[in-house]
Amino acid sequence: MGARAYKTYKKDEIKVLKLQEFCQPVELKKALDLLAVAGDQLKPLAGGTDLIPAARQGELKIKGFLDLSRLEELKGIKEEGREIHLGSLTTFSQLELSPLIKDQVPLLAEAASTVGSPQIRNQGTIGGNIANASPAADTVTALVALEAQARLVSSQGIRVVPVDELLCGMGETGIQPQEIIQEVFFAIPPPENRNGFVKLGRRKALAIARMNMAVIITLEDGVITRARVALGAVGPNPYRNQILEGVLEGRKPSPSLLEEFTSEAEQEVAAKLGPRPSAPYKREAIKGIARDLLSRLFFGNGQVVA
Amino acid sequence: MAAFHLEMKVNGELVAVDIDPGMRLLDVLREVLHLTGTKEGCGEGECGACSVILDGELVDSCLVMAPQAYGKEVVTIEGVAALGQLHPLQEAFIEAGAVQCGFCTPGMILAAKVLLDHNPNPDRQEIARAISGNLCRCTGYSKIIKAVEIAASRIKAEAGAASD
Ligand code: FES
Ligand code: FES
Repeated sequence: MGARAYKTYKKDEIKVLKLQEFCQPVELKKALDLLAVAGDQLKPLAGGTDLIPAARQGELKIKGFLDLSRLEELKGIKEEGREIHLGSLTTFSQLELSPLIKDQVPLLAEAASTVGSPQIRNQGTIGGNIANASPAADTVTALVALEAQARLVSSQGIRVVPVDELLCGMGETGIQPQEIIQEVFFAIPPPENRNGFVKLGRRKALAIARMNMAVIITLEDGVITRARVALGAVGPNPYRNQILEGVLEGRKPSPSLLEEFTSEAEQEVAAKLGPRPSAPYKREAIKGIARDLLSRLFFGNGQVVA
Repeated sequence: MAAFHLEMKVNGELVAVDIDPGMRLLDVLREVLHLTGTKEGCGEGECGACSVILDGELVDSCLVMAPQAYGKEVVTIEGVAALGQLHPLQEAFIEAGAVQCGFCTPGMILAAKVLLDHNPNPDRQEIARAISGNLCRCTGYSKIIKAVEIAASRIKAEAGAASD
Protein backbone atom coordinates (compact mmCIF):
# COMPACT_ATOMS: atom_id res chain seq x y z
CA MET A 1 0.00 0.00 0.00
CA GLY A 2 1.28 3.42 -0.84
CA ALA A 3 1.96 5.67 2.09
CA ARG A 4 -0.37 8.59 2.33
CA ALA A 5 1.30 11.94 2.73
CA TYR A 6 0.08 13.92 5.69
CA LYS A 7 0.85 17.53 6.34
CA THR A 8 3.50 17.52 9.03
CA TYR A 9 4.79 20.48 10.94
CA LYS A 10 8.18 20.66 12.50
CA LYS A 11 7.98 23.00 15.39
CA ASP A 12 9.53 26.42 14.77
CA GLU A 13 10.13 25.54 11.18
CA ILE A 14 6.81 25.89 9.42
CA LYS A 15 4.56 27.11 12.19
CA VAL A 16 6.35 30.38 12.58
CA LEU A 17 6.56 32.54 9.51
CA LYS A 18 10.00 33.90 8.82
CA LEU A 19 9.46 37.61 8.93
CA GLN A 20 12.15 40.22 9.02
CA GLU A 21 9.74 42.94 9.90
CA PHE A 22 6.37 43.37 11.49
CA CYS A 23 5.22 46.97 11.59
CA GLN A 24 2.12 48.06 13.42
CA PRO A 25 1.73 51.79 12.91
CA VAL A 26 -1.08 53.67 14.62
CA GLU A 27 -1.13 56.57 12.16
CA LEU A 28 -1.82 56.39 8.46
CA LYS A 29 0.96 58.83 7.64
CA LYS A 30 3.50 56.64 9.40
CA ALA A 31 2.20 53.58 7.54
CA LEU A 32 2.61 55.32 4.19
CA ASP A 33 6.14 56.46 5.06
CA LEU A 34 7.07 52.88 5.94
CA LEU A 35 5.66 51.60 2.65
CA ALA A 36 7.43 54.32 0.68
CA VAL A 37 10.86 53.12 1.79
CA ALA A 38 10.10 49.39 1.81
CA GLY A 39 10.22 48.78 -1.92
CA ASP A 40 7.73 45.98 -2.40
CA GLN A 41 8.94 44.04 0.63
CA LEU A 42 6.27 45.07 3.11
CA LYS A 43 2.81 43.63 2.56
CA PRO A 44 -0.18 45.48 4.01
CA LEU A 45 -2.13 43.09 6.25
CA ALA A 46 -5.83 43.67 6.91
CA GLY A 47 -8.12 40.82 8.01
CA GLY A 48 -5.54 38.21 7.10
CA THR A 49 -8.04 35.56 6.01
CA ASP A 50 -6.41 35.12 2.60
CA LEU A 51 -2.96 36.53 3.24
CA ILE A 52 -1.94 34.50 6.27
CA PRO A 53 -2.55 31.06 4.72
CA ALA A 54 -0.92 32.25 1.48
CA ALA A 55 2.16 33.49 3.33
CA ARG A 56 2.42 30.26 5.27
CA GLN A 57 2.25 28.23 2.11
CA GLY A 58 5.17 30.21 0.80
CA GLU A 59 3.13 31.89 -1.90
CA LEU A 60 4.19 35.38 -0.91
CA LYS A 61 7.72 36.54 -1.32
CA ILE A 62 7.82 39.26 1.29
CA LYS A 63 10.05 40.30 4.13
CA GLY A 64 7.34 41.48 6.44
CA PHE A 65 3.84 42.65 7.17
CA LEU A 66 2.52 46.13 7.64
CA ASP A 67 -0.37 45.52 9.99
CA LEU A 68 -3.20 47.94 9.25
CA SER A 69 -5.44 46.83 12.10
CA ARG A 70 -4.72 49.80 14.36
CA LEU A 71 -5.27 52.52 11.76
CA GLU A 72 -8.45 54.32 12.74
CA GLU A 73 -8.37 56.24 9.44
CA LEU A 74 -9.33 53.01 7.65
CA LYS A 75 -12.40 52.24 9.74
CA GLY A 76 -16.07 53.14 9.75
CA ILE A 77 -19.16 53.24 7.57
CA LYS A 78 -20.35 56.77 6.83
CA GLU A 79 -23.07 58.49 4.86
CA GLU A 80 -21.84 61.70 3.25
CA GLY A 81 -24.48 63.51 1.25
CA ARG A 82 -25.75 60.99 -1.30
CA GLU A 83 -22.68 58.79 -0.95
CA ILE A 84 -21.68 55.95 1.33
CA HIS A 85 -18.04 55.68 2.37
CA LEU A 86 -16.63 52.44 3.71
CA GLY A 87 -13.28 52.37 5.46
CA SER A 88 -11.20 49.64 3.87
CA LEU A 89 -11.03 47.74 7.17
CA THR A 90 -14.82 47.43 7.29
CA THR A 91 -15.51 43.75 7.94
CA PHE A 92 -18.15 41.64 6.22
CA SER A 93 -20.00 41.35 9.54
CA GLN A 94 -20.10 45.11 9.90
CA LEU A 95 -21.56 45.44 6.41
CA GLU A 96 -24.06 42.66 7.03
CA LEU A 97 -25.32 44.28 10.24
CA SER A 98 -25.12 47.99 9.36
CA PRO A 99 -28.61 49.54 9.33
CA LEU A 100 -27.44 52.08 6.72
CA ILE A 101 -26.19 49.36 4.37
CA LYS A 102 -29.20 47.10 4.88
CA ASP A 103 -31.52 49.98 4.25
CA GLN A 104 -29.87 51.74 1.30
CA VAL A 105 -27.87 49.05 -0.48
CA PRO A 106 -29.22 45.65 0.57
CA LEU A 107 -27.26 43.96 -2.21
CA LEU A 108 -24.06 44.76 -0.34
CA ALA A 109 -25.40 43.46 2.98
CA GLU A 110 -26.56 40.31 1.18
CA ALA A 111 -23.19 39.85 -0.48
CA ALA A 112 -21.39 40.27 2.86
CA SER A 113 -23.71 37.82 4.60
CA THR A 114 -22.87 35.06 2.13
CA VAL A 115 -19.09 35.23 2.63
CA GLY A 116 -17.45 32.15 4.18
CA SER A 117 -18.24 31.45 7.82
CA PRO A 118 -19.09 33.67 10.81
CA GLN A 119 -15.40 33.75 11.68
CA ILE A 120 -14.37 34.81 8.19
CA ARG A 121 -17.10 37.47 8.14
CA ASN A 122 -15.78 38.86 11.43
CA GLN A 123 -12.22 38.96 10.14
CA GLY A 124 -12.32 39.56 6.40
CA THR A 125 -12.42 43.13 5.13
CA ILE A 126 -13.72 44.89 2.08
CA GLY A 127 -10.26 46.30 1.33
CA GLY A 128 -8.76 42.84 1.47
CA ASN A 129 -11.48 41.48 -0.77
CA ILE A 130 -10.49 44.02 -3.44
CA ALA A 131 -6.72 43.78 -2.94
CA ASN A 132 -6.71 39.98 -3.28
CA ALA A 133 -8.66 40.14 -6.53
CA SER A 134 -10.23 36.73 -6.18
CA PRO A 135 -12.49 35.82 -9.11
CA ALA A 136 -15.38 35.08 -6.76
CA ALA A 137 -15.02 37.89 -4.21
CA ASP A 138 -18.64 38.33 -3.19
CA THR A 139 -18.66 41.90 -1.97
CA VAL A 140 -16.61 43.01 -4.96
CA THR A 141 -19.38 41.94 -7.34
CA ALA A 142 -21.79 44.14 -5.38
CA LEU A 143 -19.30 47.03 -5.37
CA VAL A 144 -18.79 46.73 -9.13
CA ALA A 145 -22.56 46.93 -9.68
CA LEU A 146 -22.59 50.03 -7.46
CA GLU A 147 -19.80 51.54 -9.60
CA ALA A 148 -17.79 52.00 -6.42
CA GLN A 149 -14.52 53.86 -6.42
CA ALA A 150 -11.47 53.17 -4.29
CA ARG A 151 -9.41 55.93 -2.72
CA LEU A 152 -5.78 54.86 -2.75
CA VAL A 153 -3.29 56.70 -0.63
CA SER A 154 0.50 56.74 -0.62
CA SER A 155 3.15 59.14 0.65
CA GLN A 156 2.99 60.65 -2.86
CA GLY A 157 -0.68 61.55 -2.68
CA ILE A 158 -4.14 60.27 -3.38
CA ARG A 159 -5.76 58.70 -6.40
CA VAL A 160 -9.32 57.63 -6.94
CA VAL A 161 -9.92 54.63 -9.21
CA PRO A 162 -13.12 52.74 -10.06
CA VAL A 163 -12.97 49.36 -8.34
CA ASP A 164 -13.49 47.44 -11.59
CA GLU A 165 -10.55 49.25 -13.19
CA LEU A 166 -8.32 48.28 -10.28
CA LEU A 167 -8.89 44.59 -10.94
CA CYS A 168 -6.49 43.25 -13.55
CA GLY A 169 -6.97 39.49 -13.49
CA MET A 170 -6.94 36.69 -10.98
CA GLY A 171 -4.99 37.91 -7.95
CA GLU A 172 -3.79 40.96 -9.86
CA THR A 173 -4.61 44.60 -9.17
CA GLY A 174 -3.37 48.02 -10.16
CA ILE A 175 -2.60 48.84 -6.53
CA GLN A 176 1.05 49.87 -6.21
CA PRO A 177 3.16 48.33 -3.42
CA GLN A 178 3.42 51.74 -1.72
CA GLU A 179 -0.34 52.28 -1.78
CA ILE A 180 -3.08 51.42 0.67
CA ILE A 181 -6.80 51.39 -0.02
CA GLN A 182 -8.11 53.96 2.44
CA GLU A 183 -11.76 53.69 1.59
CA VAL A 184 -14.31 52.63 -0.96
CA PHE A 185 -17.24 54.87 -1.80
CA PHE A 186 -20.24 54.93 -4.07
CA ALA A 187 -23.37 56.94 -4.78
CA ILE A 188 -26.51 55.66 -3.12
CA PRO A 189 -28.71 54.34 -5.96
CA PRO A 190 -31.69 56.58 -6.85
CA PRO A 191 -34.75 56.21 -4.60
CA GLU A 192 -36.79 54.31 -7.19
CA ASN A 193 -34.32 51.48 -7.35
CA ARG A 194 -34.42 47.81 -6.49
CA ASN A 195 -31.25 45.87 -5.92
CA GLY A 196 -30.12 42.45 -4.89
CA PHE A 197 -27.33 39.90 -4.82
CA VAL A 198 -27.43 36.19 -5.41
CA LYS A 199 -24.80 33.51 -5.08
CA LEU A 200 -24.35 29.87 -5.77
CA GLY A 201 -22.02 27.62 -3.83
CA ARG A 202 -20.96 28.60 -0.37
CA ARG A 203 -17.93 26.59 0.62
CA LYS A 204 -14.37 27.24 -0.32
CA ALA A 205 -14.07 23.61 -1.39
CA LEU A 206 -16.62 24.26 -4.09
CA ALA A 207 -14.79 27.24 -5.51
CA ILE A 208 -15.31 25.97 -9.03
CA ALA A 209 -19.05 26.09 -8.51
CA ARG A 210 -19.13 29.56 -7.11
CA MET A 211 -20.83 32.21 -9.09
CA ASN A 212 -22.58 35.38 -8.09
CA MET A 213 -24.57 38.21 -9.55
CA ALA A 214 -25.54 41.69 -8.39
CA VAL A 215 -28.28 43.73 -10.06
CA ILE A 216 -29.54 47.26 -9.51
CA ILE A 217 -32.51 48.53 -11.50
CA THR A 218 -34.16 51.93 -11.42
CA LEU A 219 -37.84 52.03 -12.30
CA GLU A 220 -39.70 55.08 -13.54
CA ASP A 221 -43.38 54.75 -14.40
CA GLY A 222 -42.94 51.00 -14.51
CA VAL A 223 -40.04 51.14 -16.98
CA ILE A 224 -36.46 50.18 -16.16
CA THR A 225 -34.56 53.36 -16.94
CA ARG A 226 -31.21 52.24 -15.64
CA ALA A 227 -29.71 48.83 -14.97
CA ARG A 228 -26.42 47.69 -13.52
CA VAL A 229 -25.48 44.03 -13.71
CA ALA A 230 -22.26 42.55 -12.30
CA LEU A 231 -21.12 38.95 -12.46
CA GLY A 232 -18.56 37.19 -10.26
CA ALA A 233 -16.62 33.95 -10.84
CA VAL A 234 -17.41 34.08 -14.54
CA GLY A 235 -14.35 36.09 -15.61
CA PRO A 236 -11.02 36.42 -13.79
CA ASN A 237 -12.57 39.19 -11.67
CA PRO A 238 -16.10 40.41 -11.03
CA TYR A 239 -17.14 42.69 -13.88
CA ARG A 240 -20.04 44.76 -15.19
CA ASN A 241 -21.86 43.25 -18.14
CA GLN A 242 -23.26 45.99 -20.35
CA ILE A 243 -24.98 43.58 -22.71
CA LEU A 244 -27.14 42.28 -19.89
CA GLU A 245 -27.78 45.83 -18.71
CA GLY A 246 -28.94 46.67 -22.25
CA VAL A 247 -31.43 43.81 -22.17
CA LEU A 248 -33.16 45.41 -19.20
CA GLU A 249 -32.99 49.13 -19.96
CA GLY A 250 -36.06 50.71 -21.51
CA ARG A 251 -38.21 47.64 -20.79
CA LYS A 252 -40.94 46.81 -18.33
CA PRO A 253 -40.45 43.96 -15.84
CA SER A 254 -42.34 40.94 -17.16
CA PRO A 255 -42.00 37.16 -17.24
CA SER A 256 -40.87 37.33 -20.85
CA LEU A 257 -38.17 39.90 -20.05
CA LEU A 258 -37.01 37.60 -17.30
CA GLU A 259 -36.68 34.73 -19.76
CA GLU A 260 -34.90 36.91 -22.29
CA PHE A 261 -32.44 38.07 -19.65
CA THR A 262 -31.86 34.51 -18.49
CA SER A 263 -31.00 33.18 -21.93
CA GLU A 264 -28.82 36.18 -22.69
CA ALA A 265 -26.99 35.58 -19.38
CA GLU A 266 -26.38 31.99 -20.41
CA GLN A 267 -24.89 33.11 -23.72
CA GLU A 268 -22.68 35.66 -21.97
CA VAL A 269 -21.33 32.98 -19.65
CA ALA A 270 -20.78 30.60 -22.55
CA ALA A 271 -18.88 33.26 -24.47
CA LYS A 272 -16.77 34.22 -21.47
CA LEU A 273 -15.87 30.70 -20.37
CA GLY A 274 -15.35 29.10 -23.78
CA PRO A 275 -14.37 25.42 -23.61
CA ARG A 276 -13.43 25.45 -19.91
CA PRO A 277 -14.54 22.31 -18.03
CA SER A 278 -16.73 24.31 -15.67
CA ALA A 279 -18.58 25.97 -18.57
CA PRO A 280 -21.50 23.54 -19.04
CA TYR A 281 -22.25 23.59 -15.34
CA LYS A 282 -21.99 27.34 -15.04
CA ARG A 283 -24.20 27.92 -18.08
CA GLU A 284 -26.97 26.02 -16.36
CA ALA A 285 -26.25 27.60 -13.00
CA ILE A 286 -26.36 31.17 -14.28
CA LYS A 287 -29.91 30.60 -15.49
CA GLY A 288 -30.95 29.56 -12.01
CA ILE A 289 -29.39 32.49 -10.23
CA ALA A 290 -30.54 35.01 -12.85
CA ARG A 291 -34.10 33.75 -12.55
CA ASP A 292 -34.01 33.85 -8.75
CA LEU A 293 -32.64 37.33 -8.53
CA LEU A 294 -34.72 38.95 -11.26
CA SER A 295 -37.98 37.41 -10.14
CA ARG A 296 -37.26 38.83 -6.71
CA LEU A 297 -36.52 42.28 -8.11
CA PHE A 298 -39.35 42.22 -10.64
CA PHE A 299 -42.09 40.60 -8.63
CA GLY A 300 -40.84 40.70 -5.06
CA ASN A 301 -40.34 36.99 -4.49
CA GLY A 302 -37.63 34.36 -4.80
CA GLN A 303 -34.63 33.43 -2.78
CA VAL A 304 -31.75 35.62 -1.69
CA VAL A 305 -29.19 32.85 -1.86
CA ALA A 306 -29.47 30.05 -4.35
CA MET B 1 14.07 39.46 13.87
CA ALA B 2 13.46 41.43 17.01
CA ALA B 3 10.82 40.06 19.32
CA PHE B 4 7.44 41.70 19.38
CA HIS B 5 6.19 42.82 22.75
CA LEU B 6 2.60 41.63 22.87
CA GLU B 7 0.20 42.80 25.54
CA MET B 8 -3.31 41.48 25.58
CA LYS B 9 -5.96 40.21 27.94
CA VAL B 10 -6.50 36.47 27.94
CA ASN B 11 -9.44 35.06 29.86
CA GLY B 12 -9.60 38.20 31.97
CA GLU B 13 -5.90 38.38 32.82
CA LEU B 14 -3.36 40.78 31.41
CA VAL B 15 -0.61 38.98 29.57
CA ALA B 16 2.65 40.50 28.36
CA VAL B 17 4.98 38.29 26.32
CA ASP B 18 7.81 38.82 23.90
CA ILE B 19 7.13 36.72 20.86
CA ASP B 20 8.31 36.05 17.36
CA PRO B 21 5.92 38.18 15.26
CA GLY B 22 5.71 35.38 12.70
CA MET B 23 3.56 33.46 15.17
CA ARG B 24 -0.18 33.36 14.86
CA LEU B 25 -2.46 34.01 17.80
CA LEU B 26 -3.10 30.25 17.79
CA ASP B 27 0.62 29.55 18.27
CA VAL B 28 0.96 32.02 21.14
CA LEU B 29 -2.06 30.58 22.92
CA ARG B 30 -0.90 27.00 22.57
CA GLU B 31 2.89 27.14 22.61
CA VAL B 32 3.61 30.17 24.75
CA LEU B 33 0.66 30.32 27.13
CA HIS B 34 0.02 26.55 27.04
CA LEU B 35 -3.70 27.03 26.58
CA THR B 36 -4.04 23.88 24.53
CA GLY B 37 -7.84 23.79 24.55
CA THR B 38 -7.66 25.79 21.33
CA LYS B 39 -7.02 23.27 18.55
CA GLU B 40 -5.35 23.45 15.18
CA GLY B 41 -7.19 21.56 12.48
CA CYS B 42 -6.78 22.85 8.97
CA GLY B 43 -4.68 25.93 9.68
CA GLU B 44 -6.44 27.85 6.93
CA GLY B 45 -9.81 29.04 8.15
CA GLU B 46 -11.96 26.12 7.10
CA CYS B 47 -12.62 24.09 10.24
CA GLY B 48 -13.04 26.48 13.17
CA ALA B 49 -11.20 24.21 15.63
CA CYS B 50 -8.97 27.17 16.49
CA SER B 51 -11.90 29.53 17.21
CA VAL B 52 -11.49 32.05 20.02
CA ILE B 53 -13.43 35.15 20.99
CA LEU B 54 -11.48 38.32 20.17
CA ASP B 55 -12.97 41.56 21.47
CA GLY B 56 -16.38 39.89 21.59
CA GLU B 57 -16.27 38.36 18.12
CA LEU B 58 -15.63 34.78 17.05
CA VAL B 59 -12.44 34.48 14.99
CA ASP B 60 -10.23 31.72 13.65
CA SER B 61 -7.01 32.18 15.62
CA CYS B 62 -5.05 30.51 12.80
CA LEU B 63 -5.92 33.55 10.68
CA VAL B 64 -4.71 36.16 13.16
CA MET B 65 -1.05 37.11 13.38
CA ALA B 66 -0.30 37.28 17.09
CA PRO B 67 0.70 40.97 17.06
CA GLN B 68 -2.75 41.80 15.72
CA ALA B 69 -4.16 40.86 19.12
CA TYR B 70 -2.25 43.72 20.72
CA GLY B 71 -4.46 45.55 23.22
CA LYS B 72 -7.34 43.17 22.63
CA GLU B 73 -9.24 40.78 24.81
CA VAL B 74 -9.14 37.06 24.04
CA VAL B 75 -11.43 34.41 25.49
CA THR B 76 -10.46 30.77 24.97
CA ILE B 77 -12.28 27.65 26.08
CA GLU B 78 -10.24 27.76 29.30
CA GLY B 79 -11.97 31.03 30.16
CA VAL B 80 -15.51 29.78 29.76
CA ALA B 81 -15.96 27.87 33.01
CA ALA B 82 -16.37 30.30 35.89
CA LEU B 83 -14.67 29.45 39.21
CA GLY B 84 -14.45 25.75 38.52
CA GLN B 85 -18.12 25.59 37.56
CA LEU B 86 -18.84 24.36 34.04
CA HIS B 87 -20.73 26.77 31.78
CA PRO B 88 -24.29 25.66 30.96
CA LEU B 89 -23.13 25.08 27.39
CA GLN B 90 -20.41 22.72 28.57
CA GLU B 91 -22.87 20.78 30.72
CA ALA B 92 -25.41 20.60 27.95
CA PHE B 93 -22.82 19.34 25.45
CA ILE B 94 -21.93 16.48 27.80
CA GLU B 95 -25.56 15.60 28.50
CA ALA B 96 -26.72 15.72 24.92
CA GLY B 97 -23.86 13.54 23.70
CA ALA B 98 -22.59 16.43 21.58
CA VAL B 99 -18.97 15.53 22.33
CA GLN B 100 -17.42 12.51 20.67
CA CYS B 101 -13.72 12.85 19.90
CA GLY B 102 -13.92 16.39 21.28
CA PHE B 103 -11.62 18.04 18.77
CA CYS B 104 -14.24 20.47 17.53
CA THR B 105 -15.84 21.03 20.93
CA PRO B 106 -13.87 24.05 22.21
CA GLY B 107 -14.57 25.96 19.00
CA MET B 108 -18.20 24.85 18.94
CA ILE B 109 -18.77 26.00 22.50
CA LEU B 110 -17.21 29.38 21.84
CA ALA B 111 -19.28 29.81 18.66
CA ALA B 112 -22.41 28.93 20.64
CA LYS B 113 -21.41 31.25 23.46
CA VAL B 114 -21.07 34.24 21.15
CA LEU B 115 -24.48 33.40 19.72
CA LEU B 116 -26.17 33.16 23.13
CA ASP B 117 -24.47 36.33 24.35
CA HIS B 118 -26.23 38.22 21.54
CA ASN B 119 -29.35 36.15 21.06
CA PRO B 120 -30.64 34.25 24.09
CA ASN B 121 -33.50 32.69 22.09
CA PRO B 122 -32.00 31.31 18.89
CA ASP B 123 -34.00 28.97 16.68
CA ARG B 124 -32.40 25.90 15.12
CA GLN B 125 -31.56 27.75 11.94
CA GLU B 126 -29.83 30.52 13.83
CA ILE B 127 -27.86 27.96 15.79
CA ALA B 128 -26.86 26.15 12.60
CA ARG B 129 -25.71 29.41 11.03
CA ALA B 130 -23.74 30.37 14.15
CA ILE B 131 -21.79 27.10 14.09
CA SER B 132 -21.47 26.97 10.30
CA GLY B 133 -17.77 27.83 10.49
CA ASN B 134 -17.08 24.90 12.80
CA LEU B 135 -16.72 21.44 11.33
CA CYS B 136 -17.43 18.27 13.26
CA ARG B 137 -16.44 14.89 11.84
CA CYS B 138 -18.22 12.86 14.50
CA THR B 139 -21.61 13.97 15.68
CA GLY B 140 -23.52 14.95 12.57
CA TYR B 141 -24.34 18.29 14.25
CA SER B 142 -27.86 17.50 15.45
CA LYS B 143 -26.73 16.71 18.97
CA ILE B 144 -24.68 19.88 19.03
CA ILE B 145 -27.70 21.93 18.02
CA LYS B 146 -29.75 20.14 20.67
CA ALA B 147 -27.10 20.95 23.29
CA VAL B 148 -27.20 24.63 22.41
CA GLU B 149 -30.98 24.61 22.73
CA ILE B 150 -30.77 22.98 26.17
CA ALA B 151 -28.16 25.49 27.32
CA ALA B 152 -30.18 28.43 26.01
CA SER B 153 -33.27 27.40 27.94
CA ARG B 154 -31.24 26.85 31.13
CA ILE B 155 -29.50 30.19 30.88
CA LYS B 156 -32.88 31.84 30.45
CA ALA B 157 -34.34 29.95 33.41
CA GLU B 158 -31.36 30.94 35.57
CA ALA B 159 -31.63 34.57 34.52
CA GLY B 160 -35.35 34.45 35.34
CA ALA B 161 -34.68 32.90 38.74
CA ALA B 162 -31.97 35.44 39.51
CA SER B 163 -34.24 38.36 38.75
CA ASP B 164 -37.08 37.05 40.94
S1 FES C 1 -7.33 25.52 12.31
FE1 FES C 1 -8.11 27.50 12.14
S2 FES C 1 -9.89 27.21 10.98
FE2 FES C 1 -9.04 25.22 10.99
S1 FES D 1 -16.74 15.55 18.23
FE1 FES D 1 -15.19 14.83 16.90
S2 FES D 1 -15.00 16.48 15.51
FE2 FES D 1 -16.73 17.01 16.64
